[in-house]
Amino acid sequence: MSSLVSLILLSLCLGFAAWFLFLWAAKSGQFDDAERPKYRMLDDDDEESDKKDDQKRKT
Amino acid sequence: MPRCDHCLIEFPEREAVHDEVKGEEKVFCCHGCQGVYRLINDEGLDDFYKRRKDWVPGPAAKVAIDSAAFSGSLRPAGDDIEVDIILDGIRCASCVWLNERVLQKTGGVTFAQVNYATHRARIRWDPRKTGLDAVLHRITSIGYTPKPFVAGAFEEEQKKASRDLLIRFGTASFFSMQQMIYSAALYAGYFQGIEAGLKDLFHWISLALTTPVLFYAGWPFLKGALRGIRHFTFNMDVLIIAGAGSAYVYSIYQMFAGGEVYFDTSAMIITLILLGRFIEAGAKRKASEALTRLLSLAPREARKVVAGITGEAGYHDAERVMTLVSAMRPGDLIEVLPGEKVPLDGIVRHGASEADESMLTGESHPVSKTAGAEVFGGTVNLYGAFIYEVTRIGNETVLARIIKAVEDAQARRAPVQAFADKVVGIFVPLVLLISFCTATYWWLTGAGASVAVMNAVSVLVIACPCALGLATPLAILIGTSYGASKGVLIKGGDVIERARKIDLVVFDKTGTITLGKPALVHYRGIGMTDSKALALAASLERYSEHSLGKAIVDAVRGIDLEEAAGFSAVPGKGIQGTIDGKQLVVGNREFALPATTGSDMDDELTRDALNRETAGATVVYLSCNGKLAGIFAVSDVPRSEAREAMEMLARDGLDAVMITGDAQATADAIAHAVGIGQVKAKRTPLEKAADLKAFRDAGRSCAMVGDGINDAPALVEAEVGIAMGRATDIALESADMVLMRSDLRLVSLAVRLAKRTYNVIKQNLFWAFFYNVVTIPLAVMGILHPIVAAAAMALSSLSVVGNSLRAKVRQ
Repeated sequence: MSSLVSLILLSLCLGFAAWFLFLWAAKSGQFDDAERPKYRMLDDDDEESDKKDDQKRKT
Repeated sequence: MPRCDHCLIEFPEREAVHDEVKGEEKVFCCHGCQGVYRLINDEGLDDFYKRRKDWVPGPAAKVAIDSAAFSGSLRPAGDDIEVDIILDGIRCASCVWLNERVLQKTGGVTFAQVNYATHRARIRWDPRKTGLDAVLHRITSIGYTPKPFVAGAFEEEQKKASRDLLIRFGTASFFSMQQMIYSAALYAGYFQGIEAGLKDLFHWISLALTTPVLFYAGWPFLKGALRGIRHFTFNMDVLIIAGAGSAYVYSIYQMFAGGEVYFDTSAMIITLILLGRFIEAGAKRKASEALTRLLSLAPREARKVVAGITGEAGYHDAERVMTLVSAMRPGDLIEVLPGEKVPLDGIVRHGASEADESMLTGESHPVSKTAGAEVFGGTVNLYGAFIYEVTRIGNETVLARIIKAVEDAQARRAPVQAFADKVVGIFVPLVLLISFCTATYWWLTGAGASVAVMNAVSVLVIACPCALGLATPLAILIGTSYGASKGVLIKGGDVIERARKIDLVVFDKTGTITLGKPALVHYRGIGMTDSKALALAASLERYSEHSLGKAIVDAVRGIDLEEAAGFSAVPGKGIQGTIDGKQLVVGNREFALPATTGSDMDDELTRDALNRETAGATVVYLSCNGKLAGIFAVSDVPRSEAREAMEMLARDGLDAVMITGDAQATADAIAHAVGIGQVKAKRTPLEKAADLKAFRDAGRSCAMVGDGINDAPALVEAEVGIAMGRATDIALESADMVLMRSDLRLVSLAVRLAKRTYNVIKQNLFWAFFYNVVTIPLAVMGILHPIVAAAAMALSSLSVVGNSLRAKVRQ
């Protein structure tokens, strides 16, 4: 019984963690452009500019 | 519609990129494809293009950019300056990549990101190192056209609403999924037996998980239902809340009474209906995004000539200032360069040109504009610069009056009562009645108040179809995305409801049934072979920007033209030059054949020329050393598929009518060529709308197909307005459907698609209700099994999803 309860708690925790992750993603605009990311893997360039890119995106 | 030589995608003519590779003329959809094509060729891999015969395809011209138009949308971002712009000409992911890379490598630019879905770019730069002009120039240099983007309040609102919907739907899904775990355990317990303590625990957890679904995720429905009840109308929201709410309340009661709970029904109703809304919003957004991209911005600025000095020299030397159109006053002078749009109505004071007024009047021939002629805002100056004096501004221009008429008509059009709402309006009172009867029956048989009420509530629980929310959006999604893949953009679900009733299709002539630009239809040499005359005329005309000249040049693709010397053009008359020492003149009759040589025309030729002119053609004459040498007839010709499209409509049982601003004879000739019986000619934009209204008053349901500003009022007045892909902005905005390819056969496809989708919606609604309705007797009898509720929920959803997949048109 107690193992069942702890499993229930674990599954609820996981569920809520996923929900919070979703809320964060939705609010920070991760779903705004669903078209572009699937092509990003095709963009190859020299590593240096990729790093620069990342920095630029963060700013 | 040209097809890209690299990626084989079809795209609007106006976005074409022309190039010459190994002596062959190639056309591309974007500069990305052009670059790849050149690369593959340079590497000697051009066999690729020969080998891929059966391959099915998968995804701008250089113009002067005026940076002043962007200055309003600049904003500071720390030390940098930031701007949002729309990039015109983006077609595929490689365009996005190209723009981002090129901008990021531009000195001084600190940030550049392009949104693939909206074609919007956000660029940030250091004002000490670079400037707006440099950035814009960089974009134009790689072949894309930047346009200013101003985030409207409406757009912000929409973005917020769609994010709100996403969060509500996401929350409902997560909680419903968690809740389902416990429901599954309870189902198993129902059959195999379950410990009472465990059952209680699962009940409590289910309650805790369902509550936020109903009260947070279901809040919009709750609000709607309250509003509905207050006005005593049974809308969809009332049914949703009646179902989900009663299941929730019933379950809480049963928790304490020790019975079975239906929290899963409550949660799933809300979740599935939110899913339906989400799908619908997605389909609508896709359509509106595609449309936003088609819309180009009307001229907001004009080149104002600062007067003071008058006379020829004065005009020449006067200073030009870019001024907002809204700041212009009557009496101001504006200069319009070739290819530009005329910003406001006025009278030409200096210079000469021809204007394309077809979008305003339907007249297919360019209209000559010399000093004293009236010009209208929104028309396009074809060649030659002119300066004109503004006479009307603001709401008084012809264009503004047409837009006003469109807005009035749009406001007048009654919102369509959705079919699903009608069904619900009957269904809800009926269920409430059955529920009431159930309570009365049990009460009268002496079963006690609590049993009577619980049986009545269980009727509500079982009657609410979960699949209801999916029935309409799924069918519309599949219908509209199928339409989009075929080139028909449908602006919303209500359009489908209106389009299914169509029995009459009204076509505009210029640019819709016809190509909207002149083509050579007949030529004849006099004293030389026909083709020699054509070659000579084309050799001269290729130096001309005139649309009639272009038609002649287009007709001789592939023939070597001769070098002309001493070329000169006289606006509105023709051109002259020397080839092989022969003095050649091409132009209208008076220009090419001055009175002295007019006698070269015998009766038969004159009659022939006159006949052609009555039928809407323009006759162009060629003279050689002052003697008549050739006659060319140029006219606006019907699209090649027009006749077939009319036959398709006739097969579908739809009547066709042609309506145009052009003269009767011209219209009759075109109508006869494509097989349209009924013609209405010489119509002004407002008369066109009145004609449409007359058709509707006569009990017909009409669709209007058009492309010009002059069609816009009619497009709104029609049951369904259909705009061609290359249509003007106002036509695109007025229309309910947009044909992405200028192919008239799509009209028939669009109507058939609407009819079929509507049928699927009806079937979906039937299936959504069917399983729930047949299980109502069980609830009335007071023997509602949770397994029955679950089965009804699952079966109706599966039937709806399965049936929706059929919403495609068999070709």
